[in-house]
Formats: sequence, structure tokens, C-alpha cells
Amino acid sequence: MKTLTKLAGAAALGALMAGGAMAEGLYTPNLAYRTGPFAATGIPLMNGQKDYMELMNARDGGIGGIAIDFDECETGYSTEKGVECYEKTKGKAIVTQPWSTGITLQVLPKTNVDEIPILAPGYGFSPMADGKVFQWAFNIPLSYWDGASILIKYLGSQGDLSGKKIAFLHLDHPFGKEPLPYLEAAAEAQGFELVPIPVGLKEMQNQSAQWLQIRRERPDYVIMWGWGAMNAGAITEAVKTKFPMENMLGVWWAGHDADLKIVGDAGKGYKSVSWSFPNPEAPIMADLQKYVVEPGKTLSNAEEMSGVFYSRGLVISMVLGEGIRVAQEHAGKAEISPADLRWGLENLDITEERLEELGMTGMVPPFSTSCNNHTGHSGGWILEWDGEKFVKASDLIMPDSDMIAPLEEKAAMDYAEANQPWPVNEECGG
Amino acid sequence: MLNDIFIQPFADMFAAPDFLLQVLWEGLVSGILYALIALGFVLIFRSSRIFNFAQGIMVVFAALTLVGLHAMGIPAWISVALTLAVMFVLAVSIERVVLRPLVGQPDIILFMATIGITLFLIGFGEIIFGGENKVMITEELGIPTDSVVLEPWGGLLILEQKDITAVVVAGLLVVALLLFLGKTRMGRAIRALGDDHQAALSVGISLQTIWVLVWFIAGIIALVTGIAWGARAGVSFALEVIAYKALPVLMLGGLESITGAIIGGLMIGMLEKLFEIYWGQPLMGGNTETWFAFVLALIVLLFRPQGLFGERIIERV
Repeated sequence: MKTLTKLAGAAALGALMAGGAMAEGLYTPNLAYRTGPFAATGIPLMNGQKDYMELMNARDGGIGGIAIDFDECETGYSTEKGVECYEKTKGKAIVTQPWSTGITLQVLPKTNVDEIPILAPGYGFSPMADGKVFQWAFNIPLSYWDGASILIKYLGSQGDLSGKKIAFLHLDHPFGKEPLPYLEAAAEAQGFELVPIPVGLKEMQNQSAQWLQIRRERPDYVIMWGWGAMNAGAITEAVKTKFPMENMLGVWWAGHDADLKIVGDAGKGYKSVSWSFPNPEAPIMADLQKYVVEPGKTLSNAEEMSGVFYSRGLVISMVLGEGIRVAQEHAGKAEISPADLRWGLENLDITEERLEELGMTGMVPPFSTSCNNHTGHSGGWILEWDGEKFVKASDLIMPDSDMIAPLEEKAAMDYAEANQPWPVNEECGG
Repeated sequence: MLNDIFIQPFADMFAAPDFLLQVLWEGLVSGILYALIALGFVLIFRSSRIFNFAQGIMVVFAALTLVGLHAMGIPAWISVALTLAVMFVLAVSIERVVLRPLVGQPDIILFMATIGITLFLIGFGEIIFGGENKVMITEELGIPTDSVVLEPWGGLLILEQKDITAVVVAGLLVVALLLFLGKTRMGRAIRALGDDHQAALSVGISLQTIWVLVWFIAGIIALVTGIAWGARAGVSFALEVIAYKALPVLMLGGLESITGAIIGGLMIGMLEKLFEIYWGQPLMGGNTETWFAFVLALIVLLFRPQGLFGERIIERV
């Protein structure tokens, strides 16, 4: 009898699993990190991404008439688990969203063989912008080199940087080291001194040694390439050591409301570059309330939904959604292949008009991509913490493409040569 | 090069003694917190020979429970009492559900069981509290958050009042623990179990009671550690990572020695900070704290395999 019960149970479980596997739609897995040391920054981003796709399914019946099968594979921000997730999901996926520069670098060569687009919005390897070399990789709408360039441009607008000292406080991880080639080139070109200060994973919450170095070096500015608990750790130490907060700036991942709330008023003046901005009045927010929040389909809450990171999650899924839509129109079918999606992501034209149609005015700057330009280089805003929330502190600032483009091209070619045989898209004109 | 290694660092120390004091203070604060985490490991190892992999997640779980209870509108100090109750229930549950069925199993099985406890607490904690970064209720607990600014030799020395509080509370906790272990019946029972399991059991010491007790004490230590570290950079699952900082402390001080955990923690906290500031940053680009403590512990192990204060085990074959 017991055996029979077990068999019946197994059959029921099997039926359930088979049902799950048969879920129809475009499979767009997200290599999420809702657990581990970086969960605090991951959760609002993942929630925003998920909610956008929930909205598409609930309000529009998917995209182009086909449902979006948005699935998450948990990595805990671990590169090893991320690669496992990629291998597990690649079979039927039309895209992979690796969510870590370390994972992106690992799966980058694999996607050339598997022919699946990598969508890494605002992260990954900056030279991925070169679509001729990195045919399957997209870091829309800004690369880390773009971000560093915008920060340097902003600081330059505050006064000549020649002879100044800039401390670069960064996570000792591929993500944290990514902007160094640009910053080193900018330091040489503009005559400022760059002091790289790495923060180990285990030191994220106790950065006293790094901030003692900052006290000793007396930099004019601190640029922070922080992630997860490192951000709150750094801002707490900056407050403690009385570093002028208005002279501290971070990358877009170091501009998380929850990190700044830990210091509150003491963090006033801290700035972060961003390619997204929350707009509570945007029509999409009302739609999310109606189609996702009220039916209980969200994992988020009102406070999180008003923040920068949730809003960025929405933008990231919008980029994917628009890539799918453009690909469907081009291919003339709803059920697109990864190669179709690659075409879609290479032909995005997100104008002010399109953002208005999407109900997302002001949430991301307009941008467009091409076969040769896999980033879009949208430009970004400088946001400032006012003690309670981030507010815009600048108009849109564009990256210094004249300086970045040759660096990207050289780094992309170096990468291709070091990873021979590496297919290059010779048909890519621009 | 020789100048950079042997002369310049000491010249820098003498040139800016206020800065040296600041380095030593930061090292002391880190060290006493490392010692606290290491104590949690040592207590459990002494009484049960279990290397408790779950100590780090217990810090997170205790801190999250405290903040979560307070967020429900419960006053801060009542939240502390309730958190301690939760840690007691956790200790009882671990003893009943995990450890008791594994009595007599090889050490590695018990170690694996604590990995299981870690994974369970991560998942359970995420479900109950979510993974978002939360603000520690520092002010609500009456912990001062201002700084004391001193000017020794005309320089600058900044002492955070919450760091001073952490050092004082951790110091008191260590003294209380030493008194408990040395002067009370229960404390002596824990030590007896650490010295000889069979002999302790034969004189009527209850293994179950002692295990619950040491896991509960480890829970108290986890709560104090969670409050101290959480006050610095918020409460999130990232706090778990700091438990790994206790591993070299245990290697250095010895897995069984309470004195070793305290002295090892303080030594590593201060030496790694001094090395990072005066040698690591100028000569190696910084971030030497990631490995310095392990190298120091390995050097000690070369000469004293049982650690500085560990017991030398001689097994006759």
C-alpha cells in the first residue's frame, strides 16, 4: 500500500513537472541573485524585471501575441552557479541574462558557439559594445567605461581635474576592475592622479583600512565602484571619517536607496551616475498597480517600487521586450529564435516617442543600437541623495565616445586574438 | 626596496603617531569582533567536537530577527529579549532534530549537518525576513552614534561611540563567559565535556542539556556580533561572510581555547590592519586583509600545529 501511495505521489509530481515544462511562450531566463551577500541589491532589480514581464503577459497577452516565459535561476552572484544556470537554461532560451560581470565573462565564449544573445544591461565587459567582435553580447544602454567617462566629465565640469587626486574605491572582483582601463587612460589624458583602492569580498562591511588609506591619501574625490553590501559599508565609513559627501560619487549600482537609508541625512550630497530614474507618475506604474500589484503577482512593495533599482529592473525588461518586438516584426512571426532576437537587439530605436508609448517617459534616456554598436551609449544623469531619496542633479551627460571608441575597438580585437578562433561579423558595417 | 620594507613603515608610524593610534583602534575594534565570532565556534567545538559551519548565518539570523521584530512595532529591548528566546528555541531544535540523532557519528557527519543548518537558515531567513538590506536599530537600543574626536600630538583620532560600545560590550561578554565557564556548575560541565566526553557522561553530565546550552550561548554571541556589525553597514545576508574572518583566528588561537580565540582575534585584527596600512597598501596595492590572517596562521601552524593556545594531542598507536 505504501509503495502504491509513493508511486501515485511520484506520478502526480511527474504530471506537475511535465505541465511546467510544457508552459508555452518565449523562454527568457534570468540568472537572478535573490540570495547571498548581494541579495539586497539584486532583489529590487529582479522584482522590477519580473513585474514588467508579468505586466506584458497580463495586460497585452505577452509580446506580439505570445506569452513571455520569464524564469529565474538562482546564482547567489556566484560565477560557478551562474555558469551552471546558463548550461541548464540554454536549451530552450532565446536570451541569457547573466547578471554579473564574472558570469558574463565566463559565458561570453560559450554564447558564440550556442548562438544565444547575452543581455547585460549596464554591466559586463565594456568592449562588448563592439558588435562586430561580440556578435552575441549586448550591454545596453551604457557600458562601465561610459559610466566612468560620465563621472569624470561631471567632475571636470566642477573644475579642472589637472593635478587633482581621485581615489577609485572598488570591489576586488571583475566588476570592480572593469573601468580601470578607461580611468587610467583618462588620468593620463587629463593629468589627474588615480589611486585604485580595492575592497575584498570579506571586507565589504568593514572598510576601515580602505578609509584609513583615503584619509592618508587625502583625495579630492572618491569614485566608488560598489555592489551589494560594499556600498553601505563605504558610505558609513565616509560619514565616520568625515569625508565630504559631495565629493563622493558612485557607479549606477552604488546608487541604491536602501544603502543610503542606512546613513540617512548623513549621506546628503552623495552622488551616483544613472541611466534610469524612477517616475511614479509614469503610466506604466499605474498599469503595474492594476495588472500586477492588485492581483497579487508582485514580490515587491510600495517603498521598493518607488526606488531607483526597481525602476531600473523595469527598464531592463523593457529593453528585452522591445528587442523581442522588433525581432518579431522583422521575422514576421511571434515565436522568434535567438538569432532573431539578436537582430532585434541590434536594431533598437528607443526614442522619446517610443518611451511615451510604453508609458516610461523619463525613466531612461533615448538610445539606439546597431550591428556595430551593441551598447547604445545613451548617456546618464547624476543623481544626488537628498537624505530621503535620489534626485536628479544634472542634465543628461553623454560619455566621451571619442576617447572610448578606440579603447573599445582595441580591447575587443585583443580579446578576439587571445581567444582564437573567434568569429568576427565582417558584414557589420555600422 | 629594503628601505620600503624595513625603514619607511616605521618612519611613517613615528611621523604620524595619531594615525598609528587610529590604525590600532580600528584593528582593536575589528579584532574584538573577530574574537566574538571565534568564541562561538570554540564553545561548540569544546563541548561537542563539532565545527559549527552555521555560526555565520546565526549572526545574520539573530540580527534579522531583532530588526524584524522591531519592525513589527515591538519596543527595542523587548525585541532583544524575544530574539534571545528565538535563539533558545533554535538551540533546542538543533539539538533535538539535528544533533541527537547523529550522536556517535563521525565528526565529518556532524560538520556536514551544520552545513545543512546553514542552508536551512538561509532559506528560512529569506522567506521570513526577505533579503533586503535593513537598518540596525542602533539608536533605539540606546547605542550612541556620535564620534569622539581627540587631538593627540596635535593630530586627529576619531573614535565612533558605537565602536566604543561594541568593544565594551564584547569585553563584558567575554568576562561573563569566562566567569560562567570557570565559576558555575554548568560552566564546569561544559569544560568537563570538552576535556573528556566519556568521563563527563559517566559522572551524570547531560549531553543534551549542555549542547542546548552551548548552542544558546553561541546564539547570544551571534546576536551581539550581529548588532555590532549591523550597526556599521546594515543587516543583510552579507553579514554571513564575516564569519570566515574567524577561521584564521581559530587556526592561530586553537580550536579549543577560549583564551586563544580572544588573543587570536585581537592579534589578527590589529596585525592585519597594521600590515595593510604600512606594508600592504604602499607595496602591494592593498587588500592584503583578504589573505594576511591566513598566512600568519599558517606560519604559526608550522611551529605549533595545535595553534598558539590549543591542546597538544598525543595519540598512542
